[in-house]
Amino acid sequence: MRLRAETRREGVLLLLIVLVLFGFSLVIENYLSARLFNRVSASVAILAILAIGQTLVVLTRNIDLSVGSIVGFTAYFVGQQLSLDNDIHPLVAVLMAVGLGAALGAFNGVLVAFCRVPAIIVTLGTLALFRTILVEYSDAQTILTVNLPQWLIDLPRLNVVSYERLHLRVVVAVMLGVAVLFQLLLRYSSFGRRLYAIGSSPEAARNAGFPTRRLVFTAFVLCGALAGLTGFLFLARFGNITVIAGIGQELKSVAAVVVGGINIFGGSGSVLGAVLGASLIDLLENSLIRSLQISEFLRDALLGMLILAAVAVDSVLMRRRRDR
Amino acid sequence: MNARMDERGSRSPNPPDPMESSRAGPAPAAARLAAALGARVRSWEGFLAVLLLCIIAMNALTSPSFLTAENQVNLFALSIEKVIVALIMTFVILNAEIDLSVASMMGLSACALGWLVQQGVPMPVAILACLFIGMLGGAFNGFWITVVGLPSLVVTLAMLIGFRGLARVLVEDRSIKEFPAWFEALGQQPLVGPFPLSLIIFFALLVLAVVVLRYSGFGRQVYVIGINLEVARYSGINVARVKMLLFTTSGFLSALAGILFAARLGTVRGDMGLGFELDIITIVLLGGVSIFGGAGSVYGVILSILIVLYLRNGMSLSNITGHLQTGVIGVLLILSAMIPNVRSFLAHVVRPGRLR
Amino acid sequence: MNGVPAASHTAETVAGGAPVLEVRGLSKRFDMTQALDDVSLTLHAGEIHALVGENGAGKSTLIKILTGVVQSDAGEVRVEGAAVHLANAQEAQACGVAAIYQEPLVFPDLDVAENIFITHREQDLLVNWPRMYAQAEDILASLGVRLDVRASARGLTLAAQQAVEIAKAISLEVKVLIMDEPTASLSDHEVRQLFRVARQLRDRGVAVLFITHRLEEVFEIADRITVLRDGEHISTRPAADVTRDLLIRDMVGREVDQFYGVGTTRTIGRQVCRVQGLGREGVFSGIDFDLHEGEVLGFAGLVGSRRTDVALALFGIQPADRGRIEIDGRAVRITSPRAAQQLGIAYMTEDRRKLGLAMPLSIAANVTLPVLHRYLTRLGLIHRPREEAAAEGFRQRLDIKAPSALHLVEKLSGGNQQKVMFGKWLNTRPRIFLLDEPTRGIDVGAKAEVHTMVRELAEEGMAILCISSDLPEVLAMSDRILVMREGRQMGILERSEASQEAVMSLATGEDEGGGATTGARIAEGTAP
Repeated sequence: MRLRAETRREGVLLLLIVLVLFGFSLVIENYLSARLFNRVSASVAILAILAIGQTLVVLTRNIDLSVGSIVGFTAYFVGQQLSLDNDIHPLVAVLMAVGLGAALGAFNGVLVAFCRVPAIIVTLGTLALFRTILVEYSDAQTILTVNLPQWLIDLPRLNVVSYERLHLRVVVAVMLGVAVLFQLLLRYSSFGRRLYAIGSSPEAARNAGFPTRRLVFTAFVLCGALAGLTGFLFLARFGNITVIAGIGQELKSVAAVVVGGINIFGGSGSVLGAVLGASLIDLLENSLIRSLQISEFLRDALLGMLILAAVAVDSVLMRRRRDR
Repeated sequence: MNARMDERGSRSPNPPDPMESSRAGPAPAAARLAAALGARVRSWEGFLAVLLLCIIAMNALTSPSFLTAENQVNLFALSIEKVIVALIMTFVILNAEIDLSVASMMGLSACALGWLVQQGVPMPVAILACLFIGMLGGAFNGFWITVVGLPSLVVTLAMLIGFRGLARVLVEDRSIKEFPAWFEALGQQPLVGPFPLSLIIFFALLVLAVVVLRYSGFGRQVYVIGINLEVARYSGINVARVKMLLFTTSGFLSALAGILFAARLGTVRGDMGLGFELDIITIVLLGGVSIFGGAGSVYGVILSILIVLYLRNGMSLSNITGHLQTGVIGVLLILSAMIPNVRSFLAHVVRPGRLR
Repeated sequence: MNGVPAASHTAETVAGGAPVLEVRGLSKRFDMTQALDDVSLTLHAGEIHALVGENGAGKSTLIKILTGVVQSDAGEVRVEGAAVHLANAQEAQACGVAAIYQEPLVFPDLDVAENIFITHREQDLLVNWPRMYAQAEDILASLGVRLDVRASARGLTLAAQQAVEIAKAISLEVKVLIMDEPTASLSDHEVRQLFRVARQLRDRGVAVLFITHRLEEVFEIADRITVLRDGEHISTRPAADVTRDLLIRDMVGREVDQFYGVGTTRTIGRQVCRVQGLGREGVFSGIDFDLHEGEVLGFAGLVGSRRTDVALALFGIQPADRGRIEIDGRAVRITSPRAAQQLGIAYMTEDRRKLGLAMPLSIAANVTLPVLHRYLTRLGLIHRPREEAAAEGFRQRLDIKAPSALHLVEKLSGGNQQKVMFGKWLNTRPRIFLLDEPTRGIDVGAKAEVHTMVRELAEEGMAILCISSDLPEVLAMSDRILVMREGRQMGILERSEASQEAVMSLATGEDEGGGATTGARIAEGTAP
């Protein structure tokens, strides 16, 4: 049986990740360690959740550039509430973050789906707008770790299972849960399949009478909600949150999605791809910082090239497939 | 440009050459003038002009210093780097492409300048080298877009990250201040009358942009490619060359803007111009240039430059912070993209007979 | 029987089952044109009902109303006796009405099985993939179609895509299936298969409304035939009672007369172009012809016979990868439209809107586009007076109906837009003019003007290659006719030996056995 294009893509990504691991293990002493896994997996988790949200939007032939601001906004807002009242139930805090993110996503969604403004314009605008509201709202104050409840401070180090020194952090488990949930949603729910359909051919989707607007709107809401969840994890991980929290995350999430093989013009790609894309990017970033030969400042430049290379390879492969 | 992101394309209301359609007919001069004026007011430029007058009136009322020549020159000088790049961005978006990497290129060229000067390279040589870097970076974008055939949204998004990364490699987290005095003076002192060099360059480029876009063969080709790339190709226009030229120029002018920026501030840092691409694209879209290409005029962009500058200046004079200003601009961007849709929606409701 | 005046109700008792779909007094107006005027029609379960008519007869509007894409101004639609309101595509689908088109709208990234099931209104919340694949295989097997249900729809042939759409309709248990010119782009073999499927559907009790331009197909497959003309219902008759002449008279509203003037005897000049063994991997191969000054070489063949691809190779859009092109006896390689223009070649596309004209620009801007350099001053600025003068010249010479050369092209009628395209390419002063369906989608009057124009150009010594699906047109205009079929050259007919039958037998490969559809196209093909 032939392998699906997505499966093939995922295999290539896995191979690349292994190659990166192998390559750096030659350069850096004690590279392959439990510490690396613990650290990178926790950091990947945050980016991966954001990338999963971005995937939903990109599948419908749209883009959400405002997720970085949503992350910053929710991280700050929830952090502030928790600082003011340490007794807020953890579940309430999470719901607060997810709800706030969903609300901001809904704002994007209304403008894109119902007012028919191109997504890139809307989200470029809300990227600035959400950040502005945050800056105004916060009055340039900073959330400090010391004011946060203890359970939140402990959260990043909390493990689900441990094997010797290898830990599966709660954060990572959450990410895996989200990934499985959305992979199933996209693969098996009629909602998920219709997201693919819209991105694959908006004209055919309209002709088939899909509620295109509602579906696109929902994708933006879910993307916002996941960005909100990311914001919460961001707060847990860093503790100190300033008004610039999450700046640049939108680009990293788009990069993860593109590297993960989700077609920027919609219609194809998978959640697993997005997670692998996020892993590859984060792994590279983490490893480059540790590798002393390479300036830490070079990693952005390399990241840019990585995105270009990924898209170029994709487009060449696609063209070959079509030519046949 | 990712023009097909929404399911339905919307065009900006003004045809590329409004003069052309309204010149026929031997109507009396006065009536013709009135009609033309009426059409103008109803057009996007008309709306912008009215908006601009409102902002000017409001600013003048709230702050007596607004209309002084000093303030006028100053408010231009403060944003001159953005408006210079907005001119070439107009061409790029008319061509149905987008360049998100301009602000990073500004940062890269400024940082390269600082780094070169630090290495002891003579100033003029360093400036030329930076302009060359700009052209090279732009051509690099152009290569991926025209030769490999990738969407400009993705390519320039990648280079937004990439150029910024290179800028940071050069200066890391320091700031470089070792520029010769004449260079800083060029950026900060008036050169001719009250105008500093950057303003003179801008006005020269503005005239050039109007002439090229409205009256030259190249401008016609830019429009036709934006309207319909295939028609341009079938007509024997060298589409790849036009796009390559636009992206190279975009890189070049961004580098120039970065150098002017460095001169104005007298210091260079890795995060220079961070996020400027948003302001620049906002100016162009607010000016009535369609994100799907092919429609819009340079006059609309001029009006929108004035609107954005006056709005920011007015807010500064009323002590509104820079961040809030950015937010207002963001709202303006979304509104500007929405109004044509709302209008066509209203037209739809008023005349339900037209269902196509 | 031939003289029976057409009354829409006379034939209703003839066909099989109960009425499934009834259309009563449907009217629809678009701006200035009355697209449908009080049209009534009844479809019975288990019949194939052909709907024919020239361009603008109202067929597309009727289909759009039945599928919920547009709403009628007056009249009603009944499905199984109950009046229904078809406000959108989903409601039409819920009523059991579905349509397949010449170019089906599939989702290229989804696989075959999903394409069949995704539009189901009451699709389960969760997708059961194994069951879906199994059902898809069952449906396709019942149609006798062999397709990998797990393959993505990208890369399927048009015929396969149609099969997917039909399978979709079956899975929806449609009562009425509208087939809108499904055969226009299919090969013979594929048409056979499609007909077999259509008959199967009929035998299952589906009412099939079949739209086509090929009259032979109508007679082959239809049980009853309805003719529309200028938005009005003209006749509905059992197919057995209709002759070809009667049908044509109903469609055209008069006896078919040849409005193509007899070709004058032109003096054929020296050879300007010679093509040997021209081919492009996977598209066409083995094209040999020569072209002389003052000659019109017709290119005939069914839609999909790759005639346009040969023209595109000569014009450098899709360069040929084998064979030889000589211009004036010199071998040349043509790799871009610019290179082609420099050799004096012009190509006028069949698709004005997508490939031909910059619609929101003026006539002048379009006419000067390919040779803009001729209208530039030394500084690279456009010399407006010169540009306008040139465009004004073409406006008068080609009789383009517009107030001035500065009028926007999008505001012109189809025929006048066609003339602007002529002007645009004549302005390049070509010696070799490739015309692709020069009379597609324009009215009869404009058509005659185009024919005259082509003849005059040839008399002036231009070498013309004319692709047309309108057989009488090709026969009347051409000095020789090259016939293509599925990317291969089937032969070149001299004027003396060219006839409809001769061309069609080459174009359909009738000699190679199998009763082919000799679809002389009475009305020219419409793009949807």
